[in-house]
Amino acid sequence: MVSTMVQKVLCVAEKSSVAKAVAGHLSGGRFTTRNTTNKYIKNYDFEYRFSQWNSCQVTMTAVQGHTEELDFTDRFRKWSDCDPFELFDAPVNKTIDKSKQSIADNIQREARGATILFIWTDCDREGEYIGTEVRSFARRGNASIQIRRAQFSNIERTHIIRAANNPKDLDERQALAVAARMELDLRIGAALTRFQSLRLQGRYGLTPDALISYGSCQFPTLGFVVDRYMRVKNFVPETFWYLKLVHTRDDITTTFNWDRSRLFDRMTVVLLFESCLASPGALVKSVTRKPARKYKPLPLTTVELQKQGSRFLGMNSQRVMKAAEALYTSGFISYPRTETDQYDQNIDLKALIVKQKDDTGGWGWGAYAGNLLNGEFEQPRRGKHNDKAHPPIHPVAYAAGSALSDGDQRKVYEFVVRHFLACCSKDALGETTTVSLEYGDEGFHASGLTVIERNYLEVYPWDRWESSQLLPQYREGERFVPTEVTMQDGKTTAPGFLTEPELIALMDANGIGTDATMAEHIDKIQVREYVFSVPKNSRGSAGAAAAGRGSGRGRGRGRGAKATTGSTRGGGNSGGNNVFVPSNLGVALVEAYDLIASDMSLSKPFLRKEMELNMKKICNGELSKEHVIHQSLEQYREVYMKVSQRIETFRQVCSRYIQS
Amino acid sequence: MANSLAVQISSHILSTKGILPSQTWLAAFLSTQKPNLPFQSLSQTALFRLLASEITSSVQPTSDNTFPSSIHDVHATNLQLKGPIAVQIVDIEDIGHSKLSQLEALEAAERGEKTKGKEVIRVVPGEEDDTDPDNLGLTGVGGPHKLTLDDANGSRVYAFEFKPINGVSIGMNIGTKLVLRDVRVARGVLMLQPANTTLVGGKVEELHKKWREERKGKLKAAIEAAKENNE
Repeated sequence: MVSTMVQKVLCVAEKSSVAKAVAGHLSGGRFTTRNTTNKYIKNYDFEYRFSQWNSCQVTMTAVQGHTEELDFTDRFRKWSDCDPFELFDAPVNKTIDKSKQSIADNIQREARGATILFIWTDCDREGEYIGTEVRSFARRGNASIQIRRAQFSNIERTHIIRAANNPKDLDERQALAVAARMELDLRIGAALTRFQSLRLQGRYGLTPDALISYGSCQFPTLGFVVDRYMRVKNFVPETFWYLKLVHTRDDITTTFNWDRSRLFDRMTVVLLFESCLASPGALVKSVTRKPARKYKPLPLTTVELQKQGSRFLGMNSQRVMKAAEALYTSGFISYPRTETDQYDQNIDLKALIVKQKDDTGGWGWGAYAGNLLNGEFEQPRRGKHNDKAHPPIHPVAYAAGSALSDGDQRKVYEFVVRHFLACCSKDALGETTTVSLEYGDEGFHASGLTVIERNYLEVYPWDRWESSQLLPQYREGERFVPTEVTMQDGKTTAPGFLTEPELIALMDANGIGTDATMAEHIDKIQVREYVFSVPKNSRGSAGAAAAGRGSGRGRGRGRGAKATTGSTRGGGNSGGNNVFVPSNLGVALVEAYDLIASDMSLSKPFLRKEMELNMKKICNGELSKEHVIHQSLEQYREVYMKVSQRIETFRQVCSRYIQS
Repeated sequence: MANSLAVQISSHILSTKGILPSQTWLAAFLSTQKPNLPFQSLSQTALFRLLASEITSSVQPTSDNTFPSSIHDVHATNLQLKGPIAVQIVDIEDIGHSKLSQLEALEAAERGEKTKGKEVIRVVPGEEDDTDPDNLGLTGVGGPHKLTLDDANGSRVYAFEFKPINGVSIGMNIGTKLVLRDVRVARGVLMLQPANTTLVGGKVEELHKKWREERKGKLKAAIEAAKENNE
């Protein structure tokens, strides 16, 4: 007789909170909890009837991000034992940190009695890779275990149940891309960190053990900050001249702007001014009324959330992401790491709006959501990006203000919901009136805006669009004598130091980091004291001369491998309205690399951008992991050699900026 | 014989381009040409050489095709020049943009970078999207421009690009010949627009090369001067 023994399914999530939430949804809250030898990890047991596997005994557990670490073999670990150059091709191996061994052991043990390993790591590149780690631990316990993967983008109940009943396969290519990135970050980061630290330690006021870390994302990020800083420092105001025409009619004084805006040549403006004055009057060339439209926002991506968080909510990107992660884990919003700014055709947006319409938690958008359902709804705009993994960030469940303990979470939740409702609204509509004049041979114009329908602006207070002062009546073809025409001058003004939204936009446009890692890179260059975050209005001067604390090998991120939670340093610099100024060391490093390696400079985005593009090619199957690693290592090796050949120049630049 | 050929070529160039070649220059040119070349190709070569030469040596000045002696009168606010007057461009400046922004664009171009929105891109010379093959830091929309022009007498004036003229931009050939008709002059400055300005073309190699070499230094000097003014 065929045995009817129930099969066991081992589920593994990327973090404990997700494991617990998923276990709760699948079991209807009826699970038993077992401790493991790791105090952060619990095993949740319950029964569940999968549509594809029937009734199963389920154990749900978790890892904590990455479990394994990639490192050089022993002979190459000590700084004193090898030339940093050797690290470009020194052997590497995977190890498990002592504190994490219990996590791997737990999976190995639980896999023994299971027939299926069902992987529930987050659905992104990093998650695919962590899934392959989980797979290798499980196979150590049970070589013939079947491997499946859950595909989900939020932790709302029905979504989780659908994912449980539609298992997929791990995406090997995405995992390979992460493996390539990890190896490159390790080799390049370690080689250059050791190189620049060893060459500069004990000089220019740096301590003998100063760590001057290098990271292939960190440096271009630093480069953007230094570039702007130098532009501000080198700025020279220049004088420009312009014409201004003022006319008073019906008690309304209107300023007409010069079509040429401004010119940087006084003589020319004087001549044009004279020819105006020689003319008997101004002619109204046209009066045009045009419908005007203020577009509602695009569906929310991570990069936009980070930029707006800084601009509107007064939080830096790291804090915004921390709050968003917590909201996701609690099942209130969808996965907050996404590049997608278009909604899938078959997503039921109205069902999501319904959840917000009985707002009893005091947010104040209930009636607005109700109106959307009563005919005001309009399909969201479609952006150009689709990462094919996650939808735009949107609310998946209603949360009353009191259900969110944390002020940051409340702010981010409110922003996500209002943004979502705005996306499902109509654009704001208005009308602009433009009066164009000819005076002498010069053109002038004035415009007025009347807002007719506010629409999405009602729920989205962060966008401003107000009616301007009304223009008096002008008729096409009429002539009038201006009340006043003057020639004015002004001076160009320096750009401001780089703000966080600007930095994120630069990183995004130049392919530095991914939406998920940008905040970490920005944090890293502050921890390293290459840049400081200072309040907007302080005239920042390059601050501390020395930076020599911290530890680590200066490599890119490995999720969960180290403490990655937002480190909030010093008073007030976790706010969103600060600007970045580089330290002397930061300026020195950028200048030195620019001088020596010019277009291959490590502070420029080009090399890293190419690496990111190659990661995508691994994911598409266009390039192999080995090819990508080889190509990038060759490029960085070349820069390394250039810089080591010209180490004296390197030191000279440093001594210029960082005198002790 | 040669003389009548010179006359023929001269009147051909005058009627088609509005420029009267100098007879001395034309004679010297013809003496270097093989005899019995067809008229068409001879006159084309002559035009090409003329456009590539210094205007004071190759164009015959007359009272009609040069600036009047009153051209520099700073009290005359509304002088009309009938023309056609042949001139060559000896300098061009973008007065719609600050010197610093032009210098920054120029230096970025020298590093092989170009800014496209927020994206810094590396430009490989000769690539398809390389719209700035000479690395002058051209950002697309330029101007309006202030020009310095010489006539056949070597008389030098300023001109303002009053309305945008196709082909006038930073990066255009220095030594380009223009023919002007019915131009208004305000206090010695010519007001140019498409209706009164014809770009005939050409380039004077030495002038062009010198202009390119000096551009960065001039921008820097202007910025230095602005700095001193501010202090």
